[in-house]
Amino acid sequence: MLSPIALWYLIILEPILNVLVALSHILSGEFGLAIIALTLIVRFVSWPLNKRQLRSTKALQDLQPKMQELQKKYGKNKQKLQQEMMKLYKEAGVNPLGCLWPMLIQFPIWIALYQSIMRALAVTPENLLALHDHLYSWEVVRQAIPLSSQFLWLNLGQPDPYFILAIVVGGTMWVQQKMTQAPSADPRQQSTTRMMTLMMPLMFGMLTLMFPSGLALFWAVTNIIGIITQYFVTGGWGYLKFGSPFQSTSARDR
Amino acid sequence: MKQAKISFLVTILLLGSVVVSCIPGQGQPATGWSGTAFYDGVIYAGTLDGRVVAINATSREVQWHYSFAEPSSGGLSCGQSSVSTAIYTTPIVDGDLVYVGTYSGHVYALTIDRGTERWVYPRTGSIGAIVGSPVIANETIYISSSDGMVYALDMSYGDEKWKSQRLADKLWTSPTVVGDTLYVSTFDGHIYALSAETGDLLDWSFELEAGFASSPVIHEGTIYVGSFDNNLYAIELGASEPVWEFGGSKWFWAAPVVHEGVVYAGCLDGKLYVLDAKTGDKMGEYDAGSPIVCSPVMMDDLLIVADESGDVHVFDLNAEPQDKATLLKAIAIGAAVRSSFCANEGLVYIRGEDNWIYVVDIDKGQVSQLLFLTSEG
Repeated sequence: MLSPIALWYLIILEPILNVLVALSHILSGEFGLAIIALTLIVRFVSWPLNKRQLRSTKALQDLQPKMQELQKKYGKNKQKLQQEMMKLYKEAGVNPLGCLWPMLIQFPIWIALYQSIMRALAVTPENLLALHDHLYSWEVVRQAIPLSSQFLWLNLGQPDPYFILAIVVGGTMWVQQKMTQAPSADPRQQSTTRMMTLMMPLMFGMLTLMFPSGLALFWAVTNIIGIITQYFVTGGWGYLKFGSPFQSTSARDR
Repeated sequence: MKQAKISFLVTILLLGSVVVSCIPGQGQPATGWSGTAFYDGVIYAGTLDGRVVAINATSREVQWHYSFAEPSSGGLSCGQSSVSTAIYTTPIVDGDLVYVGTYSGHVYALTIDRGTERWVYPRTGSIGAIVGSPVIANETIYISSSDGMVYALDMSYGDEKWKSQRLADKLWTSPTVVGDTLYVSTFDGHIYALSAETGDLLDWSFELEAGFASSPVIHEGTIYVGSFDNNLYAIELGASEPVWEFGGSKWFWAAPVVHEGVVYAGCLDGKLYVLDAKTGDKMGEYDAGSPIVCSPVMMDDLLIVADESGDVHVFDLNAEPQDKATLLKAIAIGAAVRSSFCANEGLVYIRGEDNWIYVVDIDKGQVSQLLFLTSEG
């Protein structure tokens, strides 16, 4: 009987790790390109889930003007506001948690991708030695090890010394969040939203300065793909372009 | 209010760092696997806390210890933080000095009597992390480094005689010197020949699609070296094609031993392969049952192999039939072995991954613990 950890390695981590290593060999030994390619593949495979998540986000965005009105109308009566909001969701056929489930289902895949990158990079001698336990006997995998950590100006096993990736990761994350987060009529809630929009990019920007740049490259590519898919699925820049749905509406009216 | 927001922001940032860095499965930090060296009744070994200790083999007392430890940066992260003073190299003794390379990118020469620092290279700053053990030849100490270069240092004063051009992304294997030529194998699948005198690249080099996992061993004009494509290669010096290759089912991580026309190669698939040095034909194999990470050691006519499960296998190379590895005995020390080890007068000195130094008496088949290395003093 395999332990949960052994199952995790067997079913999720090792397939992703080996595909990553094989991709690196196929792409002329460029591990950076392999990270980009695998991120694209994972995005492609998880597209149905992603699409559902983006559509839920879009549906929530479309409800924002009505939500704002409800907030204005029942702002002081929280219970009534909740009831009216749930009614609105029900009428529109939107599940407010609908955009969360696909994200949660994808979460283990992203964790495995993250672990695979860290393992494949084999920054320390211990990591390199441990790698042999998780590799398939595929010819393409055997030829690829150990992976070259040089990509563009980066040593993928080290943080980016020029902070470029930190800016890209933080910036793209901010853009992505700004596209989806609707401003609120409630000043307190608006302040919290603003802080959240700022906090995550800051946190990931800071982590980029601490972690191997291979991982930061993965974050950057993930964000960029996220922005592109969001742009096409939701049909525009969302709340990035317009500060509030009212501005958005008035701008469209013009 | 603003202050509270900033505090909240900082707390979340710190918490986020910790959470992300603590996701399990991202690998192990650099802790080192320094082996043991025996010289004039004293055992020298590197420890997991960044020290070199000299232990009297008879009295079992620590003669001295020298710490390379630098002030810890601390922090909340439990991720990839490495021990900056990890030691992967096995100390090497020559004359009145013991030489050690550290993961922080320094080479130290310590006196063997008191363990005082004679010199450190470089005197300011550091070179790339040192993983492969240094070698001594031609009154020179040669070191390969993670910055991809080989360094040649004067043994008495630590002056740099030369440093090579960048040969690879990183060099984690030890160089081998034969006469006035230095050979080094790289992770990108090259074996380079350099002038041991000047560090200049010589005309000949060998290229393979897969990277080389082990340090090269040279015997009678042939290089024996393990690769990440699960093969062991025999390459004649000056040739562009291997003489033979032999496939295991995992990497040949440890350098093989060549003795009287026979190659003894430990593999991460847990087997010791016995091969004809000329043809590469398999003469025999022994299944140790656990990955063989460190090179076998010869002691008179005995071949000693230690595996990762902590078993020490002793082979009598004179026993019949001579073309096969005949197991004389297997002795369990009870701790994983990754570090290179040494043998002297029937005793084998091994640093286990539990950081004990074990003494294995081959004749009696007994194991005793010599010293626990993590406690100071």
